[in-house]
Amino acid sequence: MKRKQRTEILIEGARELAARMAQVIADRYEVKLVEQPSQGLVMVKVRETAKRSLFYLGEVLVSECKVQVEGSMGIGLVKGHDHELAYQLALIDAAYQAGLEETRGWDQALLDEEARIDAMRSQAFAAIAKTKVDFETMDVD
Amino acid sequence: MGYVAVKGGTLAIEESLKRIKFERIKQGKVLDVSRIEGGMRGLIDQIMSESSLYDETLAALAIKQAEGSPEEAVFLLRAYRSTLPRKHYSRAVHTREMRVERRISASFKDIPGGQILGASVDYSHRLLDFDLMHETDEDAARWLKAFADDLGSVNEAGRPPELMKVMDYLIEQGLMISPADDNTEPDDVTRKSITFPASRSQKLQVLTRGQTGTVTSLAYAVIRGYGALHPTVGELRVGSVPVCIDDPLGSGSDDEDSYYIGEIKVTEAEMLMSAAVAKEQGGKELSFEIGYGLCYGQNETKAIAMGILDHSLEQGDSRFPTQDQEFVLYHIDSVESTGFMSHLKLPHYVTFQSKMNDVRKTKMGAAASRAGEKEEVEEICK
Repeated sequence: MKRKQRTEILIEGARELAARMAQVIADRYEVKLVEQPSQGLVMVKVRETAKRSLFYLGEVLVSECKVQVEGSMGIGLVKGHDHELAYQLALIDAAYQAGLEETRGWDQALLDEEARIDAMRSQAFAAIAKTKVDFETMDVD
Repeated sequence: MGYVAVKGGTLAIEESLKRIKFERIKQGKVLDVSRIEGGMRGLIDQIMSESSLYDETLAALAIKQAEGSPEEAVFLLRAYRSTLPRKHYSRAVHTREMRVERRISASFKDIPGGQILGASVDYSHRLLDFDLMHETDEDAARWLKAFADDLGSVNEAGRPPELMKVMDYLIEQGLMISPADDNTEPDDVTRKSITFPASRSQKLQVLTRGQTGTVTSLAYAVIRGYGALHPTVGELRVGSVPVCIDDPLGSGSDDEDSYYIGEIKVTEAEMLMSAAVAKEQGGKELSFEIGYGLCYGQNETKAIAMGILDHSLEQGDSRFPTQDQEFVLYHIDSVESTGFMSHLKLPHYVTFQSKMNDVRKTKMGAAASRAGEKEEVEEICK
């Protein structure tokens, strides 16, 4: 599974999933903390639609952490103040980068969680769709 | 009298700072930051947009510390932001990927996907609800349960539908030309001061972080006559867009290999204006142009106003103040404008002393001149 899909599931999904995966790695491997979880900023670049040019919308507060597992670097990066999740994401990222065998069994759990996230988002949209306007065309004599 | 340099006031300032804390808590009641975050969505969105820093919790804290003053809260967040390292730049965010919570068009009734009102005060009666005076957490929990029961269980599977953009619909209908992607790297006014003529990226960045009231008032002036536009909302959408960054350790820029860091809520306004386009052999053809507005949070008035000002600034006719880049972009920032007004309260003893000396000299000169004239008259009359 590619990183974008994986990180979205881990950030938007249940917190236990990231915690469980990170714990497996922490229990079995030596984890070197390269950069303590800390606050930083990400500047958001946007594609506007009038002339299709790029501009900076503003910055987003993020938590970031870097670890090394089996010689591979992992980065954990998440919006807001969440040092614990940043650390867990870094561990999981390092595990994938190192190609650890534990990661091979994770894809199904991630896909199941993705289906749950999609269903939640669909339900949320279905609820919002209740505010969709049903126009009635008035008769004109 | 010579100029006098003075120092002092340390104790007075310390006592003044105690007074500001006293004013905040003198009723013995303390606002919980989580309650501000839960119940002051509008103010939080405004503060995040004007401070150009997206974080609801920090915005709530700034609102608490500033006792609800937007200008002070924005100042606090801008100051805090300057202490943090900027670690990354995101990949280009596309609003087509927005998870829409609200989406309307004032131009077309039958837009693909429909008019979705979402959460809006536009259709409320604006009557004060006195029941809120005694609202409790239990009341809120009961209401939420009833609301959830009313929605019922929706067995939705798969991803929610992607709503077609009104602009794409116009392009499809041949009523608008689709511009090619302009991949020029944006300028950043937080790193390098704006220069004139400003680039498009500078203009949009200054507008999106502008003070809500100022952006709105200047856009209002555009429509009232100090500009030359009467726009229509082509599409207004509110929702969440994903933010991703490229792998800082990798060399490629594979979208699928990027890091997803979360979603941010934004409001986007595409304002439609009709415009004459020159054709071959001196002919003209009517077409549509877009004024673009995008800002953090649900800030609909500001996004619409930004769209109007974007189009106005693109015209660049200096007869209209709202098309003058320097006039608009130099005066629209909250910290810059309120900061300048505030600095007028700080000691200007030396400057004012100099002015007083000038006034005295002029008056003395005038008196001397009047005395001279009087002597002259007396001389003649002798």
